[in-house]
Amino acid sequence: MSAARIGSLDLVCGALAVAFLLSAPWLLPRFVPDFWVSIIAEILIWGLFASSANLLLGYTGLLSFGQSLYFGFGAYGVAFGIMKFEMGIVPAFILGVVIATAVAAVAGFFAVRLTWHYFAIITVVFSLIFYLVAVGWHSVTGGDDGLSFPLPPVARFGDVELTLLDPTFQYYFILVIVAACFLLQWIILRSPLGVAFTAVRENATRAGLIGLNPYLIRLTSFIIAGFLAGTAGALFALFSRYASAQYMYWTVSGEAVIWTIVGGSGTLFGPVIGAAVLITIREELSLYWEHYLILVGIIVILVVTFAPKGIVGSLNAWRAARRTARVAGNRVRP
Amino acid sequence: MTTPILSVRGLTKKFGGLTAVNNMDFALRTGELHAIIGPNGAGKTTFFNVVSGFLRPTAGTVSFGGADITGMATHRISQLGMARTLQIKSVFSGLTVYDNVWIAAHAKRKFLHPFRAARAYSDTAGVVARSIEAIGLTERAAELAGNLAYGDVALLEIAIAMAMQPRLLLLDEPVAGMSPEETQRTVLKIKELSRSVNILLIEHDVEAVFQIADRITVMTQGAILCQGTAEQIANDPRVQEAYLGVPTEVGHA
Repeated sequence: MSAARIGSLDLVCGALAVAFLLSAPWLLPRFVPDFWVSIIAEILIWGLFASSANLLLGYTGLLSFGQSLYFGFGAYGVAFGIMKFEMGIVPAFILGVVIATAVAAVAGFFAVRLTWHYFAIITVVFSLIFYLVAVGWHSVTGGDDGLSFPLPPVARFGDVELTLLDPTFQYYFILVIVAACFLLQWIILRSPLGVAFTAVRENATRAGLIGLNPYLIRLTSFIIAGFLAGTAGALFALFSRYASAQYMYWTVSGEAVIWTIVGGSGTLFGPVIGAAVLITIREELSLYWEHYLILVGIIVILVVTFAPKGIVGSLNAWRAARRTARVAGNRVRP
Repeated sequence: MTTPILSVRGLTKKFGGLTAVNNMDFALRTGELHAIIGPNGAGKTTFFNVVSGFLRPTAGTVSFGGADITGMATHRISQLGMARTLQIKSVFSGLTVYDNVWIAAHAKRKFLHPFRAARAYSDTAGVVARSIEAIGLTERAAELAGNLAYGDVALLEIAIAMAMQPRLLLLDEPVAGMSPEETQRTVLKIKELSRSVNILLIEHDVEAVFQIADRITVMTQGAILCQGTAEQIANDPRVQEAYLGVPTEVGHA
């Protein structure tokens, strides 16, 4: 909690980011094709998804390759809510998030008994099991083809209908929910619970010796991460109007880990930055060069080797070093 | 006589065929600084590991402040007011000195609030400031624990333990690996702390132990050889034979 200091640079960057995100629907089409608005929306969703891997890896010290499972449950929850139970958007959205969180609670009960690679493996195994079930149970899940569904309106005021089919409304709908999830993370990370997460990450033995229950703390983090991944999945289902088993596959979880590492694990906005950089590369390059993943691979290798703290983490470390140097400089001056 | 703060009866710990602690009885009186010494492999650290809940005893009971804690999980024993440092210094390297002590001071509240800002707890902040001050690390409070010199890490570990406001403090080789100056500084701190908390320590540095301990227990081969004041121990021929009789041991250990 004392590590994060807000300087003037943070305020400027923050204000610019907020201004950009708020104005994107009318600002972007002036300079780039319209579809970039929905790419930004997609980056927000995947950034939220990556933040669930980051809460575990960056703050609690648990490497999960299974976050796609909760993403998938969030998406299917929305699809079932709308198709099978004929729910409105908001109840279906809540259904997706609740199911994903509940599944994370059950999976976490078993998974967080393990740590390190054993934990990583069991998270993959859980998500593979459900992936195979979802692919095989075609009549219910649509398998790899997925379930497509029509979007009911979000709300109706007289003749005015708010619907996610309107790209601008959809964008702000996603922005508000993603922003709320990051606000929630910010609040949790500066609370006693958040400090306890980092204590368990740094040294679980010592955490036990000061009276913290590492198991319970890891489980709490795992459930919150499931909630975040489930919210991202539910948003993605509304965004793409479909849910599919392919989003439960473990490589989707792997992308969350990669975005987190490139952006900076253990930093609040690192996962979004990582997702933004790598998704932008994908969007720009994949049209012209089908092997664009080679470039992604090179970037990951370079970051892990030369800037293991990621983009945001390295930036923070560089600024902290400059501040220390300045303080030391002031001290020697007469 | 008051009930001892820590009492151990018939404690045995076996690892396969090896008996590390053998049918040991031990009681720690309140208000004393007690040291356990003994040659390598005497079972001192195993004894600590059983008492603090790292290991389950093969036989016997451990009671702390009158409560039976045999086989209880480490964090529950800590919650009851037992703090411990480890032979290999164990702190939260990636956190600042302040946060290291903060979480230790706060952990005794069983509920960790998920929404209230950690800085808003002024009572915890007070305990943290006092603990860091008492150990002499105030100037280093904003530094990452991982950047501290070895001697400061050892002091930080003690500050973490003290911030828990424990009833009993177990110190596992507090001056091992320290320079003579660091040893002297740490020994003085321990002596100072012993006025406010019961301390049980294991140490190889016999000179340091003789300087500070009110009472000393000598362990060999998993059992207690003898107990007494520094003077009694130093003059006990059995101890000289088992431990102090080898001058090189005393010199470099």
